[in-house]
Amino acid sequence: MAMNSPLRTYLIIASVLFFLFIVNMLRTRKLELKYALIWVMTSSSFVVMAVFPETLFFVARVLHIELPVNALFLCVIFLLLLIVFALTVAVSRQATRIKNLIQELGLLKEELKSGDK
Amino acid sequence: MKILVIIPAYNEAGNLPGLFEELKASEENFDVLVINDCSNDDTEKVCRKNNVKVISLPANLGIGGAVQTGYKYALRHGYDIAVQVDGDGQHDPRYIKLLVQKIKEGCDLCIGSRFIGNGGFRSSKARRMGIRYFSWLIEFLTGKHVTDPTSGFRACSRKAIRLFADDYPKDYPEPETIMTVLRNNLRICEVPVTMRPRANGNSSISCIKAIYYMIKVTLAIIITAISRKVVHGNE
Repeated sequence: MAMNSPLRTYLIIASVLFFLFIVNMLRTRKLELKYALIWVMTSSSFVVMAVFPETLFFVARVLHIELPVNALFLCVIFLLLLIVFALTVAVSRQATRIKNLIQELGLLKEELKSGDK
Repeated sequence: MKILVIIPAYNEAGNLPGLFEELKASEENFDVLVINDCSNDDTEKVCRKNNVKVISLPANLGIGGAVQTGYKYALRHGYDIAVQVDGDGQHDPRYIKLLVQKIKEGCDLCIGSRFIGNGGFRSSKARRMGIRYFSWLIEFLTGKHVTDPTSGFRACSRKAIRLFADDYPKDYPEPETIMTVLRNNLRICEVPVTMRPRANGNSSISCIKAIYYMIKVTLAIIITAISRKVVHGNE
């Protein structure tokens, strides 16, 4: 990638905006910190890679990947898998909690009714 | 001995009145609890009209979640035996006495089996093959032979009630719970029953779901076989 291509400028702008967007979501409590952490890291690493593409070249060299762009794809896919898996874990936990709540509510409703009699 | 009959019901307003009649005719002394799994018909109204205790869940949980609600109720209200009877009229309440008798004799989970003895409605050929497969799988993993692992007509001891109140599969629960019970060294037995075809409405397992059902339940049984045993303190 040429060091001063317009693409790089767009990438820097986009990644910085994305980072600010995530931080703002956190600031206004729309995103829980627990789930946001991985997004903060992802977006900040985008900023780093856009500003200093050398980091990506370095990663590619260390992993013995010929094209730096493939190193980028590898990292991004890995990160996405991680995020999706974390979400599946979160959904499973929520499902159990919601089920318990529904059952509890049903039991309590019945108790209230039989208490009225 | 306090006995609770748990009836999971989803849109069973058409079948419940007949079932209630049959339950009233039974000589065994028990309480009846219907778990209304967020039906869109008059299931709740029908129960109230017949003076039957009903728990109406605020959202649909599926058969597993509904039945588990019943076990939670049984646990909290100190029932010694819980009998599970489907709300669709397939299970003949006359057999409740038999199931309960086995629990009184020291069994922890007594299953009403269609395949001991003969007669009655035995489901389609394809389903029977599926049932035989689960039967084989459970025997392969535990060495215990259960002839009708998919039967939802069953009675539980206090120990089994506690186990189920704590952990119960969400969908297609029957074969998996047998594995849970055997895994925790509880005693299982079967008595012959005859079942009837459904009076009203459709069965919950359609043809397309069959493959998903087989894979899901197989996985669930294997996972249960390698799960940690549940430890309960003494009451």
